[in-house]
Amino acid sequence: MAEFYKTISGLEDANDAVEIIWLHGWGQDNSSFKALTSLLERRARHISYDLPGFGQTPMLDKGAGSAEYAAALATQISPLGHSRRIIIGHSFGCRVAVQLAANHPGIADCYILIAAAGLQQKRSLVWKIRAGYMRALGKLASLFDRLFGTKFRPAYARRFGSADYKNAGDLRETFVNVVNEDLSAQARQVKEPVMLVFGSEDRETPVALGESYRALMPDATLKVLDGYGHLDILGRGAHQVQNIILSVIKTLDSTSDKGQ
Amino acid sequence: MNDRKTSVAVIFGGESVEHDVSILTGLQFLEALDQDKYTGLPIYVASDGSWWTGDELLKRSNYPIAKEDRDTLTSVRLSIGQARSTFGPALVASSKGLLGKVKERIIPFDIMVPAIHGSFGEDGVLQGLLEAAGVPYVGCGILASATTINKDFTKNVLSAMGIPVLPHMMAHRPVMGTHLQTREISDRLGTEMHSHKYPFFVKPRQLGSSIGVARVNNEEELTTALLDIFRLDSAAIIEPFVPNLVEYNVAVSRAFGDVRASAIERPVKETEFLDFKAKYLAGSDGSPKLDAAPSEGMASLNRDINPTDLPRDKAALIRTHACDAFLALELAGSVRVDFLGNSETGELWLNEINTIPGSFAYFLWQHAEPEVTYSELAGALIDEGFRKFEGRRRETGADMGGGTIFN
Repeated sequence: MAEFYKTISGLEDANDAVEIIWLHGWGQDNSSFKALTSLLERRARHISYDLPGFGQTPMLDKGAGSAEYAAALATQISPLGHSRRIIIGHSFGCRVAVQLAANHPGIADCYILIAAAGLQQKRSLVWKIRAGYMRALGKLASLFDRLFGTKFRPAYARRFGSADYKNAGDLRETFVNVVNEDLSAQARQVKEPVMLVFGSEDRETPVALGESYRALMPDATLKVLDGYGHLDILGRGAHQVQNIILSVIKTLDSTSDKGQ
Repeated sequence: MNDRKTSVAVIFGGESVEHDVSILTGLQFLEALDQDKYTGLPIYVASDGSWWTGDELLKRSNYPIAKEDRDTLTSVRLSIGQARSTFGPALVASSKGLLGKVKERIIPFDIMVPAIHGSFGEDGVLQGLLEAAGVPYVGCGILASATTINKDFTKNVLSAMGIPVLPHMMAHRPVMGTHLQTREISDRLGTEMHSHKYPFFVKPRQLGSSIGVARVNNEEELTTALLDIFRLDSAAIIEPFVPNLVEYNVAVSRAFGDVRASAIERPVKETEFLDFKAKYLAGSDGSPKLDAAPSEGMASLNRDINPTDLPRDKAALIRTHACDAFLALELAGSVRVDFLGNSETGELWLNEINTIPGSFAYFLWQHAEPEVTYSELAGALIDEGFRKFEGRRRETGADMGGGTIFN
């Protein structure tokens, strides 16, 4: 696996400083955390990756899921050594982080998962009926295309596909695999402390998802930020998230002092 | 048991030319409030002077708010004229009930944060209103605000203290119906500013933010510039133009205990002086980044924080002058003191004092030693506001001192 593209910022000396690894969400790249890394530039060393298929990092194999992403990421991260490390993810980046935590215990001291995706949401009956109808329509479109050589399926995708789905390009198979994943089993295996941060107005990864994660993870805290959504939690919500990260760093500092 | 969160009303917008910048300042402050301790209450003052509140105010993409879109907002006014014991600081919200009858309800809050730049917010008017209403507020008091908004007054006071300021001359707006007496102004320039020749620098006496400021190379340009300024303000300041201009800004506050100065910034600019648009609209194509926050407004303009080419003793001098000015004028809040210098000769002058700077200059505190986050700054300013309020409450009452006439 070729090296992931990354930007490094913040404090120079890695042995004393806390190291923070940033994992962006779908359709984004390492710059999506710029507001936060600049607010925290005097508090930590920041390594922000372009995940495979985004920014300047080449794709993994077609159809690769979050487990494969985590495995590839693990090869990029140096062993923990002396410094303290926090892994922070947003949305899709959290899926990768959860897989990483489950399969590589000890690779970080703790995790901060912002607007975390990765669990199936509890859906209403109305939602389920509509979803069933949509799936049937899609299957019918594919059937017609096979039998009569029509082009209904692409038209169906254009009409009903989400923006992420439509823009996925070569990553479409990965996208479809990933949205259908359920990381409950992996969540149960995360040994390190996890800080879950969700915006109260998040419609893509609602607070209920955060509550589910908290119930599954052995050592997790949930912080709900009032008035923030899925994306702006990283923008205008940066001051609030900064406060949370600083309190996590403070906890890390005090526990590592005790450890000595 | 949970302590009730402190309710912080942030008032922004206003009728001054800095209305839009104030929206950013206000929203950022609200976003910096630690959610564990505070709840924010946005109060928007529209350009027609009306006051509004509502969650829609929190999204940058909703601005500018057209009159037709105001039905999602709640019309409010400050509660004033009630006995002090009735209820604490509050807004009165009015709405039309089912049968067209006006219904009123009270929206209490604990403290107000003036985030309006320029007239009304920064000149003592709002501060006076709040003190009359018995409302604790953040930042400078009435006198401190009124003096610092007036550049002529400020320069005279600072000069008397021995703080270097550029020499200046005042020009007043002609009385209505009369013409600008250019000849008379030129004569006065010759006598009052006799050791200086064109070019000069002209600016409004009471407005901030680079509106109306102009370099003038001759009498004709001076006339044009003055006419522009007199549309906005009643007086203008004329100073000698400083060649090899370099600017330094520093924030000062007493909210952390002792008087402290922040990191020093040197705004980096292409043109000879910061003009309004460049100062505030620093998105990549000049347009503000919607709902973006920490990178918007003045914070993202090219600036050199703690510039390495600023000698230590100069930096110390800037900080000393700024702190001295802060103390002498009895300021409060997070104040930004702007300096001008001639990079060739090394001369330095205090240019102006901004008592409600854009974004409360939080980025200067972020880069200060020690670092102060915006949330920490906001909390400290709020605590200072409460302390000042308590200080005022101990002042005289009508029944003290035996001055009563009616028994």
